Amino acid sequence: MVLEHAETLPLEVWFPLALLKWLLVLGGVAIAGLMVGWLSVAMRRGPVAGIRIVGRLLAATVGDILHISPRRVWALSWLAVRESIRRRVVVVFAVFIVILLFAGWFLDPGSTHPARLYLSFVLTATSYLVLLLALFLSSVSLPADIKSKTLHTVVTKPVRPSEIVLGRICGFTAIGTLLLVTMAAISYVFVVRGLSHTHELTDDDLHAVQHHAQGQPAVREGLTSRVHRHRHLATIEPSGRGRIAMEQNHWHDLEIEKSDGKTTYKLSRPRGMLVARVPVYGTLRFKDRDGKDSKKGVNVGDEWTYRSYIEGGTLATAVWTFDGITKKRFPESLFPKGLPVEMTIEVFRTYKGDTDDPENIPGIPGSLSVRNPATGEMVEAVIFTAREFTTDVVYIPRRLQTPDGNVLDLFDDLVSDGKMEIWLRCVQPAQYFGAAQADVYLRARDASFTLNFIKGYFGIWLQMVLIIGIGVLFSTFLSGPVAIIATSGALVGGVFSGFMMRLARGEVIGGGPVEAFIRILLQQNLVSDMEPGMRTTVAQMLDVVLGYGLYVAASILPAFGEFSFADHVAYGFDISGAVILKNTCRAAAYLVPLFVAAYLFLKTREVAK
Amino acid sequence: MSPKKRSFWRKIAYLAVIAVLLGLLSWLGRPSTTGTDRHQGSPGGVLAQLREKEQLSQTGLGQIDPAGETIKLATLGLRGIAANILWEKANRYKMKKDWTNLSATLEQITRLQPNFISVWRFQAWNLAYNVSAEFDDFRERYRWVIRGIDFLKGGIKYNQREPRLLWDVGWFISQKIGRSDERKQFRRLFKADDDFHGDRPVALRDNWLVGKEWFQKAEELVDSLGVTMKGMSPLIFRSDAPMCQMNYAEALETDGTFGEVARGAWIGAAKEWDRYGSSDIPTSYGLNIRLSEQERFEKIAKELVEKLEALQPGLREKILKDKRAELTDAQREALAIPLEDRTQQQHKLAAEATEALQITNELIARRITGPKRKEALKLAKEATEAQQHATVIRRYRQVVNYTYWSDRAKIEQENDTLAARKLIYQGDQALAEADLTAARDFYDRGLATWRKVLDRFPVLIEDNTFGSDMIEVIGRYHQILDQLDDPFPENFILQDVIDKHGKRG
Repeated sequence: MVLEHAETLPLEVWFPLALLKWLLVLGGVAIAGLMVGWLSVAMRRGPVAGIRIVGRLLAATVGDILHISPRRVWALSWLAVRESIRRRVVVVFAVFIVILLFAGWFLDPGSTHPARLYLSFVLTATSYLVLLLALFLSSVSLPADIKSKTLHTVVTKPVRPSEIVLGRICGFTAIGTLLLVTMAAISYVFVVRGLSHTHELTDDDLHAVQHHAQGQPAVREGLTSRVHRHRHLATIEPSGRGRIAMEQNHWHDLEIEKSDGKTTYKLSRPRGMLVARVPVYGTLRFKDRDGKDSKKGVNVGDEWTYRSYIEGGTLATAVWTFDGITKKRFPESLFPKGLPVEMTIEVFRTYKGDTDDPENIPGIPGSLSVRNPATGEMVEAVIFTAREFTTDVVYIPRRLQTPDGNVLDLFDDLVSDGKMEIWLRCVQPAQYFGAAQADVYLRARDASFTLNFIKGYFGIWLQMVLIIGIGVLFSTFLSGPVAIIATSGALVGGVFSGFMMRLARGEVIGGGPVEAFIRILLQQNLVSDMEPGMRTTVAQMLDVVLGYGLYVAASILPAFGEFSFADHVAYGFDISGAVILKNTCRAAAYLVPLFVAAYLFLKTREVAK
Repeated sequence: MSPKKRSFWRKIAYLAVIAVLLGLLSWLGRPSTTGTDRHQGSPGGVLAQLREKEQLSQTGLGQIDPAGETIKLATLGLRGIAANILWEKANRYKMKKDWTNLSATLEQITRLQPNFISVWRFQAWNLAYNVSAEFDDFRERYRWVIRGIDFLKGGIKYNQREPRLLWDVGWFISQKIGRSDERKQFRRLFKADDDFHGDRPVALRDNWLVGKEWFQKAEELVDSLGVTMKGMSPLIFRSDAPMCQMNYAEALETDGTFGEVARGAWIGAAKEWDRYGSSDIPTSYGLNIRLSEQERFEKIAKELVEKLEALQPGLREKILKDKRAELTDAQREALAIPLEDRTQQQHKLAAEATEALQITNELIARRITGPKRKEALKLAKEATEAQQHATVIRRYRQVVNYTYWSDRAKIEQENDTLAARKLIYQGDQALAEADLTAARDFYDRGLATWRKVLDRFPVLIEDNTFGSDMIEVIGRYHQILDQLDDPFPENFILQDVIDKHGKRG
């Protein structure tokens, strides 16, 4: 399994584009807002007065925002914090603890990737709870204050509406942050303790498997004790060195001690389970069976079209172009074996292999070649056997030999301006390799898992702040329950914005919302055509109209899924600084207009004048 | 009435309605209680009684899972929707080959809906057959097969009245492990799987024996509950356990175990097959049959027909003569032509003639007049019934190849058969080690021993399953001779087998 959407657009390219888009959208929305405001005033007081009043409001807005007093914001934030505590936010914390206590019932430590399961669980549980808390706190606070007239006391003091809005956002963010930090700490302990285990191994478990010569010691193998529903294969070499095989995506270090003629075997805590790989991704292109450039590989009929396939025994190739490959980045002291390439290659077999001897099915061989994109020089670097469903590691040696005997230096001869190509081919005819862009990457280094875990929680924090912003905005002009519904709508819509967009574009099987509703009522399947007639025509017309609404909603609402880094943490990939920065910018891009809109709504309300 | 008062009374009315509805709900949903020495138990409310009547109460179905019950409550009645969403997720994970999340999601579904049998079956099949096939390494494949079996076993805990799940476990253990391309490796891993077997002795860890136990459990449950196995013919359902014993005996010999152990296994197989033959099997003809009773019914029918014909000797011949006289010239000519020489038209005419010459028992009885007519009609009816019974049994026997297995289990116990199989096995071993001379020697002796067996039990030669197995053996013998540059003997000792089955092979 892989992360499907590897981030490849560099920050310096992305930022100006994103900023321009944001300014355009913001400008458009601002102009539309001003026009609506002017129209509504102009209809009552005439066009000139409209311009005057709107201009005054604009000037006051700028003044209000520019003259925000940090001291007053602090005081109002503190008020929001105290109010939150009064509203028993600690209940959420209690719920979280209860969930963790019972988590053991549902989490299977015998799963093939237990770390993935545990990490996904804690990150999902935390985000649900924190987002719900943020939703309720931010939506009901202002309406409750308005209802209980507490806000009237506040507005009699010299505070600006902008400070009231900002105070709420900051206060709720502070309390949410505190809760999130506590939950993150507890989750970390829960994951590390939940996955931690060791196995026992004794001499009785081991048996000789391979005799070197008469009287010589033999290689011994045996299974460890069963813990967390698995055992490991232990191999002890005649030299006395031992190793523990990979199982459930981890291994253990083996320490062998001999004293008084007795051998004891000590296995360490699991290794390789909680990691944060730093990948260097390349861009992928394909060549067809005749070696000509092609947009995609072959479709083997797999339902999931994420991967494209290349045919074995032909010139079909998947080519990754990497950038930023330098000696400095991959120094020999740290990478003595060469450039580490990690691959998750899928194999599509047109035949099963030698079924007469299943014990020795050789697997499907493939080759990796390195090519200099500038000079066109290419050398076959590695021949490997594809292993499915695991991330396989191969090393491209620093010095490579060409078929005519020349020795090439990887960095000097095969890399140009930091650019290098890796060509993947399937060697065996009539078998296929499937690959996508994120399937092959260079493992530059391993980052700290703990830091990555924290970054994962930072993603939840960003979502929380966004929800608080949306909640506060709605609470400035809606009553408490309605604000909750509106914020929930924004949250649900944001989570499903991708689906909504596909629905709007007519890409979803089963038609639009109205057609789908009719199908549910009539218990019709999704694929067969609707019966032609008036009903179907009307339903499809309504769907077209609703599609526009869905398109606008999906474009405006923040796609919460993109702020979630849970998959990165669970699948063991480092969340890069660029990703963090991009998402922080995205969140800020939403928060600024949310804050201004909230301010304007509150300012135009009677209570804040 | 002032607005304040009106509002007060409205609230009172709401409370009253709520109280009535809650009372009704409580009365309907009252749980049943078990009695003690002092207090008498209560059958509970209408819903509890209905549940009990329809055997839908959780305790009646199987174990109660606290985790599952908690989740059910936590979904606040939206269990169906939650299960639907999870099902959708599971399908997505399967599509993306994300086995970790697939397993986790399935676990959640079964906790939400533990009594939805299809989920257990579908997903166990998915794990053991679809997912396992995605891996190259047979050890990995084996592990997913066991995961599928464990998943089914989990389902059995919550569905103790469901024979289908027991049968599925039997099927997975026997067929998936014993019939895959990797059966040799699977069977070896299965024997060594301490985690699966616990303290079961190694000698009893054969997948066919373990599978048989599960089939037997399914049969016992069906018998004790008095239900039928949905979607499965009882004929097939009851044949699985004895067939496992047959396969066990066969697998022993394939693995190179002969002598008393193999004989014992075949004796067991013969006994279990006989027991299967004597069990009552309902049929789609509306009568219950026993597979072993075909010969008995044929005998009864024969005796009754003889009695019938004895009432008026020569009547059958007379009727036949009359019927012959009624045939057209063309029909008579067509009948006179040997079968293989007939044209299409002649085949049609001959079939019409044969049809017209049929003499039923009823026809004979109706032609008898006088005081014996009543007895004749009775005898004819009984004879026809016995004939029909025998026919149904014969048809059902063909479905499970009853006669072949019955004969085979007996023949395989014979010293000569055991010796023949051992010699051929030794020949194969020698062939694998490229010792061609030894291989030929073993084969010569083995084939000669088979000749003795076939002379004693010629029925074997007629059987297609045996025939195709034997043709494979002869093929290997041919291969050995080829490699030794020896010609295949002209008067081959098993030429009759080649003549009978060689073309098909």
